[in-house]
Amino acid sequence: MSENRLDTAAIATRYQKAWFAETAQRARDGQPIALVNADAPHEVLRAMGIPYVVNQWWASIISAKRLGPASLERLVALGLPDFSQQYDAIPLGAQDLPVEQRAWGGLPEPAFAIAERSGDVTQKIFELWGEREGTETFLLSRTGADPVPSAWWEKVPHDWEDAFGADRLDLLQAEIEELVTWLSERTGRTLDRDRLAQIMDLGNQQVEWNRRTRDLIATARPTPVLVNDTMPAVMVPQWHRGTQWAVDTARALHDEVAHRIDEGVAVCADERRRLMWVGRGLWSDLDMYRRFHEEFGAVFVWSMYLAIAADGYPRYGDDPVRALAARFVGFTDQLYVPPWSAQWYVKEALAHGVDGVVHLVADDTPGAGFISEALEAEGIPVLEIRANNADSRSSGSARIPERIEEFLRERVPARA
Amino acid sequence: MQSAHNLPGFGGGRAQDRPRIGVVGADLPRQIVLAADAVPVRLFGSWSGAVSLRASELLGAVDAVAGRILDAILAGDHDDLAGLVICNDSQANLRMFYVLRVLAERGEVPFPVQLLDAPRGPGTAKRAFVVAQYARLVEFCRAVTGAEVGFDDLRRAGDAEQSVVVALERLRERRVQSRCTGVSALNAYRTAACSAPEVAVAAIDDAQVSTGEGDRIFVTGSAHPDSRVYQVLESTGATIVAEDHDTGDGGWFAACTTGDSAADILAGLASLHADRPPSAARGTTAERVTALRRKVIETRGAAVMALVRDLDDAPAWELAAVREALDTLRVPFVSRTRITAEEASSASSDVVNALAVREGAYG
Repeated sequence: MSENRLDTAAIATRYQKAWFAETAQRARDGQPIALVNADAPHEVLRAMGIPYVVNQWWASIISAKRLGPASLERLVALGLPDFSQQYDAIPLGAQDLPVEQRAWGGLPEPAFAIAERSGDVTQKIFELWGEREGTETFLLSRTGADPVPSAWWEKVPHDWEDAFGADRLDLLQAEIEELVTWLSERTGRTLDRDRLAQIMDLGNQQVEWNRRTRDLIATARPTPVLVNDTMPAVMVPQWHRGTQWAVDTARALHDEVAHRIDEGVAVCADERRRLMWVGRGLWSDLDMYRRFHEEFGAVFVWSMYLAIAADGYPRYGDDPVRALAARFVGFTDQLYVPPWSAQWYVKEALAHGVDGVVHLVADDTPGAGFISEALEAEGIPVLEIRANNADSRSSGSARIPERIEEFLRERVPARA
Repeated sequence: MQSAHNLPGFGGGRAQDRPRIGVVGADLPRQIVLAADAVPVRLFGSWSGAVSLRASELLGAVDAVAGRILDAILAGDHDDLAGLVICNDSQANLRMFYVLRVLAERGEVPFPVQLLDAPRGPGTAKRAFVVAQYARLVEFCRAVTGAEVGFDDLRRAGDAEQSVVVALERLRERRVQSRCTGVSALNAYRTAACSAPEVAVAAIDDAQVSTGEGDRIFVTGSAHPDSRVYQVLESTGATIVAEDHDTGDGGWFAACTTGDSAADILAGLASLHADRPPSAARGTTAERVTALRRKVIETRGAAVMALVRDLDDAPAWELAAVREALDTLRVPFVSRTRITAEEASSASSDVVNALAVREGAYG
């Protein structure tokens, strides 16, 4: 099936490798880099010229290299848990692996570790980064999703004050300003707000291409791309959000998908079942997504990565810092907080015409039952699997492929 | 000692006739609820008991204590409440808010549900956010009780709650002086956190049980929603002299303040909240260890134990730093993680067996 792989995904992956090598070298040469959580306001770092590595992306690389278990064992050796928030914690453990075992040569020690205080544990993991030689930690507040007006995807681009509430925005906006001051004190650099506004604009342009791509795939029959291809094709540019390269790559993805549709390309020649993958990517076994093509004609047509890139990030406004606060104040809420999450997954499932949903329920996602319930209420069967996406020990014991096969046989009839 | 019937009044009717507002979590300053002439009732859950499949599926993988609270609510055990405030003081409680918000909108719980979102720590912006949250809480209380909440109401409630603060100080002192067991202290905290001030003070002052000469243990780790584990530990002759979790000494429910206006009082409460002892789920490990070290010395704890429930992960991330800090004090430390309901008693016994209290720890 290699002929079905997206050129954009391969190009993005190559770019990312080269970018990481260059960034790592710069860090080894003494330039500060940052390790940031996915929900932190990256655009500030870009505007201040501080390269950053996203913790979850780095965890996915470590996991894909099958180094997750070894990384978790390092945590245990330090008296830390290996059973908690593994996706966030794996990079911390990987940092102490022998050099020859490190993914892509390893992450140089970051100067800054930046995260929001989501959940009970993320802040503690990032605090531990700050205890390492040469690294300092900055933590942002993470407020609860209240209020939650309906149909967030319609509100967040422009009406974010209404979507999230001014109090939450005030707090995060102020803390972003504190982060800017903190970074300025340590680097001597200042924030060019015009530059930040340009970065926000480029981010919005990227979103607009992602939206077009998502909408193309939603209506295409048969599906022209593999979800495990769109994941890197979307997420690598996501971590370069605010650059012209990211906009160009988002456009290239769109054009490639459109071309495939025009050419009648099908990743699963005999498409009889369209599946949706709700939850984080199964980084330790990405080939799993193709495993059901031949026997079942079942193809995953949706994962959250392209869809949230399309709906989750757009923020238009005159004040770039407040717009940035609006981008991140409720980012995780959009994906995981009911009723927002359930409404959105239903909207996406219906738009993509899926026949079944595999719902990977991670240990830090609330209200998963409401998502499954809402999808089932639309007549869409759901398979819930509780496992950690990045920890192959957990996903292995969950028997994911076997359970999907059972699900397809028993609950997802083939289309005529 | 101040007797209960001499307490300053803060409202109209008798406590049993006032509306009851449920509380999940430890961030609520009761002064606000009391000012609305309601009685705050903290829902604790418990160490033991099954968690229903429904609660598990609704909440996802969280501390079973949250599951038991949710089960009790869904079973109608708290249908007498006029409203429910859920604190964003842990992931489990925040998830419970999200779940109950949906269920309340569907009419599956008979009372309105309100989030109290109070990030702790310094900073003008954080303080302003917490004040805004308190103002929302005032509105919520007004909506569910029908009572106006003005400056005079807040002031009177603060005066009444101050008596609880003083009683709690007496309780903590008695514990240090070996005049109150951990079990009786924990039970007093439970009663007080579910009662009007006059009842709370009486319950706290009733907690006076002389302890023996056994080992003086400080408890950290998961909060203890009931005294089950404390009973196992103290049945060996040990005494729990203090703890840092929020259902015991680490609780904050009786915080109260004065001021020249209602806004002053809300701002004062936000300041108290900013400076309060950190919780495992919301504090940094460094803050937690600093606070623990100080408390262990103050209370002359001769050993420290931590039982960490399964899926209550924040304390588990602190254990390495706690161990290191206690090593410098030469205070023994025993911990167990991922404790399930079935394992609570045996884990407590294990801890007792493992604790080898050394004499002259502070010598």
